[in-house]
Amino acid sequence: MSGLGELDRPGAPGGAEAWDERSGEWVATPEGAAASAVSEEAHVPAPSRRPNPRRTGADPVKALMHRHRELCARAVDPLEIAAGLEAHGVTDRTATRFRHRDVFSLAEEMYARAAHDEETAPRPTTPTAIRTHTSWILLTLLPGALCAATVAALRLTHGRAHAIALAVGVLAGVLALRAALARGPLAPTDGTPPGSARHASGSSVWTCWLLAYALLGDGLLDAAVAGGPDGPPGASADSSWTVATAPVLALSLACAPAAWCAHLFAVSARRRLDTSRGLEEFTASARPLLLGAFALFLSALSALLAVCGVVLGESAAYAQTVTLGALLLLARLLTAHGFHHAPAIVLAAAAAAEATALATVFAGRLPGCGFLATPVETAVDAWGPGSIPALACAAAATALLVHATRTLTRASAHAPADRPC
Amino acid sequence: MRIGLLTEGGYPYLSGDARLWCDRLVRGLGQHEFEVYALSRTERQETEGWVPLPSQVGRVITAPLWTAEDDGVSYGRRARRRFTECYGELATALCTGRPGDPAAAPGEAPAAEADRFGSALYGLAELARDEGGLVGALRSEAAVRALERACRAPGALRAAREARVPDLLAVAAHLERALRPLSLDWYEDDALGSVDLCHATSGGPAALPGLLARHFHGVPLLVTEYGVRLRTHYLATTDAPPAVRSLLAAFHGRLAAETYERAAVITPGNAHARRWQERCGADRTRIRTVYPGMDASRFAEVGESTECAEPDTLVWVGRVEPAKDLVSLLHAFAEIRKEEPKTRLRIVGAPAGPEGTAYLGHCKALAAQLFPDEAEGLHSVGDNPVSFEEIGGPELPTLADAYAAGAVTVLSSVVEGFPISLVEAMFCGRATVSTDVGAVVEVIGGTGLVVPPRNPRALGEACLALLRDPERRERLGAAARARALELFTVEQNNTAFHGIYLEIVSHTPVRRVVLDDTGEPLPFAAPAEAHVPGRWTGPATRVVARGGPAWAAGGPGRAEGAAVRAGSATPATEGAR
Repeated sequence: MSGLGELDRPGAPGGAEAWDERSGEWVATPEGAAASAVSEEAHVPAPSRRPNPRRTGADPVKALMHRHRELCARAVDPLEIAAGLEAHGVTDRTATRFRHRDVFSLAEEMYARAAHDEETAPRPTTPTAIRTHTSWILLTLLPGALCAATVAALRLTHGRAHAIALAVGVLAGVLALRAALARGPLAPTDGTPPGSARHASGSSVWTCWLLAYALLGDGLLDAAVAGGPDGPPGASADSSWTVATAPVLALSLACAPAAWCAHLFAVSARRRLDTSRGLEEFTASARPLLLGAFALFLSALSALLAVCGVVLGESAAYAQTVTLGALLLLARLLTAHGFHHAPAIVLAAAAAAEATALATVFAGRLPGCGFLATPVETAVDAWGPGSIPALACAAAATALLVHATRTLTRASAHAPADRPC
Repeated sequence: MRIGLLTEGGYPYLSGDARLWCDRLVRGLGQHEFEVYALSRTERQETEGWVPLPSQVGRVITAPLWTAEDDGVSYGRRARRRFTECYGELATALCTGRPGDPAAAPGEAPAAEADRFGSALYGLAELARDEGGLVGALRSEAAVRALERACRAPGALRAAREARVPDLLAVAAHLERALRPLSLDWYEDDALGSVDLCHATSGGPAALPGLLARHFHGVPLLVTEYGVRLRTHYLATTDAPPAVRSLLAAFHGRLAAETYERAAVITPGNAHARRWQERCGADRTRIRTVYPGMDASRFAEVGESTECAEPDTLVWVGRVEPAKDLVSLLHAFAEIRKEEPKTRLRIVGAPAGPEGTAYLGHCKALAAQLFPDEAEGLHSVGDNPVSFEEIGGPELPTLADAYAAGAVTVLSSVVEGFPISLVEAMFCGRATVSTDVGAVVEVIGGTGLVVPPRNPRALGEACLALLRDPERRERLGAAARARALELFTVEQNNTAFHGIYLEIVSHTPVRRVVLDDTGEPLPFAAPAEAHVPGRWTGPATRVVARGGPAWAAGGPGRAEGAAVRAGSATPATEGAR
């Protein structure tokens, strides 16, 4: 089978007279143009050195380079020029007119000659293209709005309607939260592999638990230390198990600033990415960005908390709510940048710590186990029931903050989504 | 014989490249057992489904290239160091290389330098096989850091030294995508380890599993390239910054060089592909050109009939697009009409894409300008000498009818790969005039006239010469048909690959230790005769040879049945003119 190509190759193409028109042009002498009966072989080794006004006969490659100047300017190696030339119909037989054996050597000459001009060519600046969809901005406002509506409904209704409003409100709040986190800057990146879904579901369960504790936990712990609880949770002051709506309302309202801070961080990090020359430089410049966005969120959350406390007439539980907000923001930021493992573990640990605190208080009532409740009771006596979640969340948030300053400041965490190149 | 057919975005997917060729190959070589290892290129391709598979395809194993699942394995310290070393080697191999010439002269570079890419590649593959988790590692900061170190190292390419952080990230992401085949579970004993031969149907990603199978199990690799993958990469390159393009070009160049170096046999589809392969370091002695095969039976009736319908008609058949240079053809036809006013031109073909539609409209307008409608007399309705038609109409129901409608087939392209319409015209026994582009000269081989591209006058004169000389036309047509039947049939293609399979397996047999039930090596499990290539027992005793390779005894499945029709063969004297 081998070599059939060579065996069957004809000596000269049929219709040999046809070659003369074209090659006559290249030779570019009046005699050559007139002598239209000379064969192709006679022309190739005899290129004209004489100056000619009609064609750039002395340097045909220069004319070719001018015709393909874009190709020459952007080529990174001679093979790219060769491929481009072939795509424009240049063959080995064409290359012989430029006194080259084949397209590859012609391309090499063109590459070598173009490379001199390229030295001064300005580096093309890559425009920073960040998609800005505004639909997520509205979505992030949704959980807060629904939560506020639910709280208002709970305040205004009684009896059966109260229960219905509670159920509907909780359901709508959770769904709105899911929708808000599924899009925008807090959503997992496009390149997230499907295998990470289990981490995500795990962390969402722990998130719900932490929010539920913020709502009910402090009241329950307070009641439990006092020997209760004697009845179901109630918002009224005379109930032994008080429900703290202000922190949950503030947290749900804080979805919007969280998304904005995350967006701010992502955009500014991407901008730094484009301008920095090295990975170290990027890391050094990204760290203040992260801390700044984090601080911005904390101050926004504190402000929201103060407003909610005033509006609802409850005490704004700053310590536990701010630390919980910080923990949730960091966990979500890490998840959004593709780090699923650490947030899931830390959230689970924080939730477990809170659950353990509650459990020890109840276990302390068993005969002979009173010592179990001592640490929690001491803490509650000294700093109030909010100290337990504040401690748990603060420890978890600190751990995540340390982790985030190491991972989120890496360039690979901000790699643009998959695009073919 | 068991053949692992490696494809990327091709067979057996419905929208795959070269699926027709693969299908004919698999059906034509029924005595072999095929296992298809397919990489899919897009999600859509995967959902579209497969072509119907013949019974000789034992199994089909697919893997996506468009997505990768991170298996969540995070490396320990030792594995991380191993990864960093291998990836650093890979990055260094990409960044240092003589500028612009990825692997032009393998003899000149020092051996360690030349082998650096290969060892890094196999190192990563071994790591993926031992530990898994390569996808996550290739996306990690350690990979980007290794890339940065290699780019900033002394002796790196100038373009690589200018790489900025986004460039590094883009290169790392692309490398992750390109190295996805390394994480597949295809390299076990029951998968690619069990085949006798890997046949990669294209270079690039499809050849990567073949390289790894060769590395892990010593399975010989056959690479078939109808279009050079590296060239496709260069033509498809986007507007990425120079640093990215330079590093990616280096990667693909080195991968191609490694593939050509390790392949037992390389089969380009034409001399053009062959030149690229030689340029990338392929060894001349291991290259066998195997022309693509086409179904000749469709054209048998037209090719064998002797009468010519319309002696004054020129036919152009193809997809209408600017690269076909129909404008030049129309100008050439104007020249012809000056000499032979009775001549007609039929342009048969559908436009390709919106660009082709616009071009077709432009050509129609030009034809109307150049040639006014003409009529026989004062009282009959006129007609344009140039007609634009499509296959499937009432006048031209099939492709063969289109070729039969004219005395001379013209090809006026300025850019062409493997000219399929020219081969079809040859099958139909038509005299042809074509432009000297792509593989035209190689295909026509002196059985038709060839003129330079973009030269309407030469094209016109060549057509005139044929129109005026019916005998020469007939002679050329017969020679063209004989040549096409000899070189471009499906049977030829299958026979060639059958022969190459046998040759490869006889030169580089895979020696396997057969294990018994308890895992002990089984002595004499494979008789020595099994390794003897060819017909070692004689055709009469074939049934007795239980242990012998049955595949070695029979000829290619269809080659005997379809003897080459040489009835109309006239000595191809035209080539010597």
